[in-house]
Formats: sequence, structure tokens, C-alpha cells
Amino acid sequence: VFPGVRQAQWLTKTKLVEGLPPAVQGTVDNPALGLQELEERARHVVSHARLWDTAEAAPRREKYCPVLFENLIHICRSMSGKYPSLRKRMLARNCRIAATWERESILLQVRGLSGILMNSMTPIPPVASKEEILATKEHVLETFYPIAPTIDLQEVNVYKELNDTGQCFRDGYPYSHPHTLFFLESASVRTDRFRPEQLRAKMLMFAFGNALAKAKALHGNDPKVLEQPVVVQSIGTDGQLFQFMVFQLNTTDLVSNDGIKNLVWIDSDQNLYERAQCVPEVKKRVVTKPAGISGFQPDTFKKFLALYLHGTV
Amino acid sequence: AMAALGLCRAFGALLLSAGSRRARPPALPQPCLPGPVSALAACRGLGGSAPCCTTDPLWKCRTKYTVRPVGMKKTGGRDHTGRIRVRGIGGGHKRRYRMIDFQRLRYEKGAPPEPFTEKVISVRYDPCRRVRGAGSADIALVAGGNRKRWIIATENMQPGDSIMNSPHIGRMAVSASEGDAYALGALPVGTLICNLESHPGKGAQYIRAAGTCGVLLRKVNGTAIVQLPSKRHMQVLETCVATVGRVSNVDHNKRVIGKAGRNRWLGKRPHTGLWHRKGGWAGRKIKPLPPMKSYVNLPRVKAVE
Repeated sequence: VFPGVRQAQWLTKTKLVEGLPPAVQGTVDNPALGLQELEERARHVVSHARLWDTAEAAPRREKYCPVLFENLIHICRSMSGKYPSLRKRMLARNCRIAATWERESILLQVRGLSGILMNSMTPIPPVASKEEILATKEHVLETFYPIAPTIDLQEVNVYKELNDTGQCFRDGYPYSHPHTLFFLESASVRTDRFRPEQLRAKMLMFAFGNALAKAKALHGNDPKVLEQPVVVQSIGTDGQLFQFMVFQLNTTDLVSNDGIKNLVWIDSDQNLYERAQCVPEVKKRVVTKPAGISGFQPDTFKKFLALYLHGTV
Repeated sequence: AMAALGLCRAFGALLLSAGSRRARPPALPQPCLPGPVSALAACRGLGGSAPCCTTDPLWKCRTKYTVRPVGMKKTGGRDHTGRIRVRGIGGGHKRRYRMIDFQRLRYEKGAPPEPFTEKVISVRYDPCRRVRGAGSADIALVAGGNRKRWIIATENMQPGDSIMNSPHIGRMAVSASEGDAYALGALPVGTLICNLESHPGKGAQYIRAAGTCGVLLRKVNGTAIVQLPSKRHMQVLETCVATVGRVSNVDHNKRVIGKAGRNRWLGKRPHTGLWHRKGGWAGRKIKPLPPMKSYVNLPRVKAVE
């Protein structure tokens, strides 16, 4: 009907900014990180996930997507020699997220398994400046007349309004701040996978859910504007296309449509590589497409790394 | 706790994206639904899709409306005893049924009975309305409020249009644009209409084929007289709702089948080749128009005609 991100923006009272925030972009362009040899390792990693990891001809998406993700995380973690604060991170899989909020007299909630969550001991500093936050006051959320913004949402009876950062993250847990969420679309049937637009919307909703639950845990359940905005990042991929997102929760006052809005920076549809050919394609006995990874984009990996390092560099 | 709208994301929550992909939604399971209307199920937004066909003989018994296409079971012209009741049906491409809402003024649960607007999301071909003669009207996915449904598209309906549905009859006639649905009493005399219903709230049963349109001839007392495409006059209560415009796919009768195979794809089996002399039933007949058909209750009819 209309792109899911627009609906998600209305539901979370968010303003969209195209591209990554300047802080992250600065990390991408920073030459001191030594990204050249990392690029070589990234190429190796993609080949491993897509070409070499199987006894059959080509690994299926359910196999190569998580393998690729694990390898990329491994490369990022190996940078912790240079940045010791990277060791204060921790990955959690299959954590349940529950967040409830009210939006113009409609109660909404996010429930479910939220992919892979990476937590850190220190929160990410706010990405947007105070002026940008105040500027969102003038931004008007788009309406979808005559379609209600809650269309296609499942209606359930809520017996308990739950705000929970996850079963294992009680108070006193050292890694208590959600840092990044990872979403892997690894279903082999194309119709079971989320399309990029829908994946971005899912990322936005879950990042919002995590941020809201954390904010309510820190500042209490009253809706108000946060002095210390909560920042949660999110990366979604289906093995080839990457979607990067940085979400900053500025306010928990979501009932009205005016006032300060939350901010999200989205960098969408970044290809890590063009195609991965397991067997060379031969037409009329001439090799048209040689085997191997073609069209590798180092920028995508640099952004992945920059988002991982955000908060420490 | 009050009913809340929940987003169960990780389980493939549906966003509004991708209204219908492949199949068409089956028509609503109305009790007066003609014959084996098989429509392919509407495609779901995300995630899995419904199976292409079922062997379940009770596939027509679905009561809950859904935009997704529903798997159909082909009958091959055979009735419940297993013998052929209608000749010449069989084979053809698999289809999924999309449930079409013929009652334009269907309000959402909890919505007040007042005029509302809807937006057209997509217009697509319906595989299930093409077997006899001029079928094959296109169907349009429209969304309004919190629900989506399929309706018969009118000519010139494009994705992104807004259409209005209103039961209100005012003193002045409404200048209706194509695709809107109004009560007959509110339309100006002489408008082309389609998807007419005979009794208020029954759902459209007339003027649904591709390219057809009826003409609103005159409005008398509390009734309206419409000329159907067969030139028959029909009298109905003016609170019956009809959509304005001609049904889509106007050039349907001009298309050329081209080969026998195309008929087989449509599910039509060949005729018998036995020659027999035709009797009195064949040939062109010239006779006066049958009298006007009135769907209005008797006391009114006595007063009007």
C-alpha cells in the first residue's frame, strides 16, 4: 500500500533523515582505522560464507546469512586490540522485547523476538545536537487519510501493559544498554523474507521498542521529553543487501502529534557485493560470468564497522 | 484491559506494503453467490502466500473476509453427485480466489454509518472472472480506515485515486466522479452506473461484467428506474447503492482468442463436433422489450406504475 517506513514513522512519532549521521560518517571516512587490510579480510569472509562453506554446489541462504554475519562480527571484534572499550560488549540472541506506548488514544505494543541484540556497558552518546532535536518540533508527521495508520496491524487484547528490556537484563546487569540490533532475513523462500522496505520498518519498530523499554527503565513510566536521548542502532540484511539505521529516542510523550519527535537516520539498500557465482556461467562454451565474488563494495563493510565502533571511537 | 492493536513483528507482522501480489481474493461468501466462482486468494503483504489450489471441497465456506487469495478447487463442471452437470468445463490454469466485497457501503466494525472515503491501492486482473462471455473485469484493492478489500474496478481507476462511499440522499444531486458509490437517489439522472443492487444492503448483483454500464433513467417518488445493459428497465428503491462509471476492461469484447489453446487455458473444453439441425430456439428473435422489472414492494408499485 504505502511503504512501511512511513507507517512506522507515524506510529513511533519519528522524523526520518536520509543517510547516516555525521558522527558515524566521520568514522567511515576516518583513514586512521586501517580499513585496507580489513577490506581484504571482508572479501575473504564473504567468499567463505557464499562459496566455500558447503559440500553441495552453493550454500543456501539459511546457511550463508548467519555465517556471513558471524564472520563480520568476528572481524569487528578483532579490532578490540586497538579499542579496549570494545570488549565491553555482549551479544544476545533471541531475546524477547516488549514495549507498550500510547499513540493518540490507540495503545500499541511491540512484542516478540527481536533478532540479535548487542549490548554494551556504556550507552551511545546522543547523535543529534540540541538544535536538531528542537527543530523536530516543527516537523509535521504525515497522515495517510483515508487510511488509518494502524491498518494491517494485528488487534489483540492486552491484559498486561508490559515494558521489558528482556528477560535477562535486570537491574545490576553490567551490559545493560542496548547498542545495536541485527536482523537476518535468512528464509530460503523469497516470500517468507521481508522485502527491504518492510525490513527497514521492522528494524525501526524494534529499535524503538528497545529504546522505549530502556528509557522507561531509566526514567520511569511517565511520558516526557528525555534530557539524555537514548540511541539504538540497527542493521538488517538478507545476506547481500544491508540496511543501516540509527534511532534516537528524544521523547516518550507519544500521545500527541506535536512537540519533539524522535529521529532516525536510515541508510538503505547497501549492497555488500553484486553477485557471488559459485559455478562459472558458461554460454556457448564461453565463460560469461567467472566464479567468485564480483562487485564487492568496501563502503558497506566500512559502515558496518563504523556502526559497531560507534560510541567507542 | 482495553483492546489494543499489537504488532507481532518477529512473526512476520504485516505492514501495509505489498497489498496483493498474485492471487485474487475470493468473492465474499454470500448465500446468493452464483455457481463455482473460484478466485485466487489475494496475496499477503509479507511472508508466505496461500497455496495455489486445495483439494478441500469446503473451500467456499470461509466466512471471515480476507484480502489474501484463497486456494480454489476446480469442479470440472461436475456437481455433488459426481456427474457432469455443465458441459465444456475443465482444465485451465490454476486460479486463486480473491474475496470481492460487493457491498460498497460495508462499514468497519465499530464505525458509524456515515459517508467515508477510501483510497485505491492497486488495480489488477482477476483470473476468476473470465469464463463466460464478458467477464474479466479488473479488481481494485482499496483501503480505508483499518481495512482493505477488493472491489470491482471501474474504467479509469488508477492506483492512488480516492473514492467516496455515501448512503446519504440530499435534496440536490451530487456531482459524482467515477468510482464513487452513492445511493441512487443522490445521483443525477442520466449518470452511467454499475454494480447495482436490487435491495438496499444486498450487495451488487447487476451490471458487473467488463465494460458494462447502466443508465439512471428517472427518479420517481422513492424509487429509481435504471436501464440495464440488456435494455431492460429495472425499478429499485432509491436507497440502493451503485457505483458511478463503467466497469473496467472495456475492450474485453473486442479481443480475439486467437487459438484453441487459449480457450483451453481459460478452462473451456471443446464443443461436440456432431452436426445437428437447429430448431426453433436458434436464430435472431425480434420482440418487444419485456416489462419493467420492479424490486420495490407492492403497495409502492401500485402507486407508481
